[in-house]
Amino acid sequence: MSAANTFSEHRWLPPLVGLGTFGLILLAVQLLIRAGAINRYIVPLPSDVAASFWRVITEEDILHRFLSTAWECLAAGVLLTVFGIAIGVTMHRTPLLRLACENWVGAMASAPLVLAYPLFLVLFGRSALTIIMMSFIVGLAPVILKTIEGLSATRRVLIDVGRSFKLTPAQQFRKILLPSALPTIFVGVRLGLMFALINVVALEFLINFGGLGQLINDLAERYDLPGVYAAICFVVLVSVVFFVATERAERWMKSAG
Amino acid sequence: MDEIGRLIRAREAPPWLAPVLRLSIVLAMLLIWQVLAVSGVFYRDVVPTLQKIGAALIKLLSGGDFYWNLWVTADEIGAALVIGGVAGLLAGLVIGASQFVASAYEPYLYYLGPTPKIIFFPVMIMWFGVDAGSKIAMGAASCFFPIALNVAAGMRQIDRVLIRAGQSFRAKPWQMALKIYLPAMRHPVVNGLRLGFGVALIGTLLAETKISNRGIGYLVVQAYNAFDMPQLYAILIVLFVIAIGANALVTRCGGFDALKQK
Amino acid sequence: MPVHAAAPPILAVEAITMRFGAAEDGLTALDNVTFDVAPGEFLAVIGPSGCGKSTLFNIVGGLLSGHQGRVAVAGATVSGPHAAIGMVFQEESTFPWRNVVDNVAFPLEIAGVPRRERIERARHFVSMVGLDGFERRYPAELSGGMRQRVSMARTLAFEPKILLMDEPFAALDEQTRLLLGDKVLQIQQQLKQTMLLITHNITEAVQLADRILVLTYRPGRVKRVVDIRLPRPRTSEIVSSEAFGRYVAQIWSDLREEASRGLSDDEARVRNAGEFGA
Repeated sequence: MSAANTFSEHRWLPPLVGLGTFGLILLAVQLLIRAGAINRYIVPLPSDVAASFWRVITEEDILHRFLSTAWECLAAGVLLTVFGIAIGVTMHRTPLLRLACENWVGAMASAPLVLAYPLFLVLFGRSALTIIMMSFIVGLAPVILKTIEGLSATRRVLIDVGRSFKLTPAQQFRKILLPSALPTIFVGVRLGLMFALINVVALEFLINFGGLGQLINDLAERYDLPGVYAAICFVVLVSVVFFVATERAERWMKSAG
Repeated sequence: MDEIGRLIRAREAPPWLAPVLRLSIVLAMLLIWQVLAVSGVFYRDVVPTLQKIGAALIKLLSGGDFYWNLWVTADEIGAALVIGGVAGLLAGLVIGASQFVASAYEPYLYYLGPTPKIIFFPVMIMWFGVDAGSKIAMGAASCFFPIALNVAAGMRQIDRVLIRAGQSFRAKPWQMALKIYLPAMRHPVVNGLRLGFGVALIGTLLAETKISNRGIGYLVVQAYNAFDMPQLYAILIVLFVIAIGANALVTRCGGFDALKQK
Repeated sequence: MPVHAAAPPILAVEAITMRFGAAEDGLTALDNVTFDVAPGEFLAVIGPSGCGKSTLFNIVGGLLSGHQGRVAVAGATVSGPHAAIGMVFQEESTFPWRNVVDNVAFPLEIAGVPRRERIERARHFVSMVGLDGFERRYPAELSGGMRQRVSMARTLAFEPKILLMDEPFAALDEQTRLLLGDKVLQIQQQLKQTMLLITHNITEAVQLADRILVLTYRPGRVKRVVDIRLPRPRTSEIVSSEAFGRYVAQIWSDLREEASRGLSDDEARVRNAGEFGA
C-alpha cells in the first residue's frame, strides 16, 4: 500500500542501503583494528588494503596475469563450446545414445570433477594445459545438457513446417532446429564459461601457476596481507564483471532470438 | 527425457535397451582403458591396468585408514553445512520476507555467489587456523550462497493465500513459520541444500588438498606425491561414487513426490 | 429464518470507508458501507467486479486495516483475525503438503488440541462436506470442487460464529456450484451457522441467502437491500421457481447499471493506456 508507493518512488534507496551497510562494516572494522580489538596481523586495515590496490596493480604485473587467466579461460571456453555443442547435437540426433548417456552427463554436472585435478597434474604437469583441460571438463556438462534441451524443445509446429517444405535433415537442422535452440544453448555456454572461469582461477591458486589465482598464492606466501586482500577483491571484481557481461549477452540473445 | 519415455512407450525402443546400451558402452570404455594401459603408450602407471586399480580399490576400502580420513572430511562437510546452512536459511528468510531488504542485499549474494571461493582460503587460514577450522569455513562460505538465494526465492514463490489462510486461523508467528512457510518452501529449500552440499564438498576438499594432514583431500595429495596412481584413481572413484550417490539421495527423498505437488 | 431479529446482530459493519493511496489520486474502494448480520442469518453481498467486494471481505475478516469505521463481532471491535470469524478464500487455499484430514485439522492443531481428538473432530467436518473416504488423499488428487469443500470443512472446524466466504465457488462450473450450494444450505441448516457470502453470481446469492446487499461499482456503497422470502429449508430445485426468477431479475436490474459502469471504466482505461504508449 503506502509502503509500496514509497518504495517505487525512491528506487535509489535500497542500493544505497546495501552499499551503505557495506561501507559501515568497513568503517567499523577500521576502527576496531585501530582500537586493537581485532588483530591487525590477521585482518589488515581496510585503508591499507585500499592503498595496496595500486601497488598490486603496478608491481605485480596485473595486466600480464589478467591476460594469462583470460587466455586460459578463452581456451577452455572455446573447447567446451565446440565439444559441448557437438556432443549435444550428436546425442540429440542419436536417440539411442541419448537414451543411454543423458543421465551420465547429468551426473557429471553434479559431480565434483575439479577434485580430479591432481590426476591432470600428472597427465599434463604443472602447466596451463592442466588448467585448461580441467576447466574444459568441468564446464562441458552444462553445455551438452542445454544443447540437448534446446534442440528437443523445438516447437513441433516448426518441425512440421520444415517437413512440409521437404527440407533435408541437414537443412532442417541448420535452418530450424539450431536457430530455435540457440538461446537455450547460449544459456548452457554461459554456465559452462562461468564454471570455467571459477575453476581456472581456483586451479591457478591451487597449483600455483598462471595468472590471477597464482598472484593470490604468491602474495599469501609472502605474508603480504593487505596485498592478499586487495588481490582477492580484484579477482572477485573480475569475476563479477564477467558474470554481468555474460548475463547481458544472454539477455540480448533472448530478445534478439 | 519425455522423448525417451515416449520412445519406450511407443515400443520403438524396448525397455531393456537403455541398460544394455550403457553396459556395452561401459565395457567398451574399460576395454579401451585396458588396452591403453597395457600398451605402454603412457608413462608407467599414468593409465594403470584395471587389475591394479581394482587391487588399489580393495586395499583402500579394507583399510581403516581410509574410513578414518573419510570421517574427518565428512565431519568437516557436516559442520560446514550446518553453519552455512543455518546462516543461509536466516539470510534467505530475511531477504525473502521483505522486498526492500531483497533489493538492498540480494544482488550482493547473487553476484558474489559465482566466484572462486577457494581464493579466500589464505584469509580463512589466518582467521581459523591451519586445521579443520579453515576447511569448515571454506565449505560454509561455499554453501551459504546457494542456500540463501534458494530460500529467498522460495519465500517469494509461496502462494500468498496460504499465508492469509494461516493468519485467518490466528496462527502464532512460530506456527506460521513451522507449519506454513517451511512446508510451502520445501522444494526450493531442498534444491538449495542439494546445491549447497555439492559446493561445500568441493570447497572443503579443495582446501584439504591445499593444506592439511588429514581427510580425503590429504589422501589424494599423498597419493599424488608418492606417484601411487592406482591409489589416486581408487580414491577418486570412491569419492565420485559417494558424491553422485549423495546427490541422487537428496533429490530422491527431498519430498519430490508428485502426490504432494500443488 | 430471523430477519427482523429481536436478538442483537452478531456482526455489525459500521460506516466502513476504505481509501488506497494518497488523498488526491487515490482509490476509494468502499464508501460508508453499513449493515448488520443477525445470528443464524445468511447474508449475501453482491456487486460488479471492481466494487470492493474482496476489500470488504478482508476488512471484515481482520486481514486488512487502514479503514474508517468499524467492524464489531458481538459488540467487540475487530482489529485483526478474530476467533469468531472464519474465512473461506476464493483462491485455492488447501495446503498441498497435507492430506485432507490434516488440512481440516489445521485450526485445531493451531489451538493446541491433542492429535487424537483433533483428527476425530476433523473427520466429523470432512464428513459434513461429503468427503468421507477421502481423508488420506492429498489436494493434488482432488478436483477443484472437492478442494474448496476441504477449505470449507477446515474453516468449519475452526467453529467460528460467522462464516465469511469470498466467492468460494468462482472457479467452478455452474452445475458443481449448484450442488455445492445445496451442501452449504445443508450445513447452515445443521449448524444454524451465520454466513456472509461475497459473490458476483446472482443465482448463487438468491439460492443461498436470506438477504442480499447490492453494492455499487467503485466506490462501493450499499445500493439496495433485498429480503429473500423463499422457503427454508431450500434446495437447488428452487432455481426453477417463479419467485426465484423474479428475485434474480430484480437484482440484475440493479446490478446491470453498476456492471455497465465497470465495463466502460475498463474500456476507458485500456484506451488511455494505448494513447500514451504503454
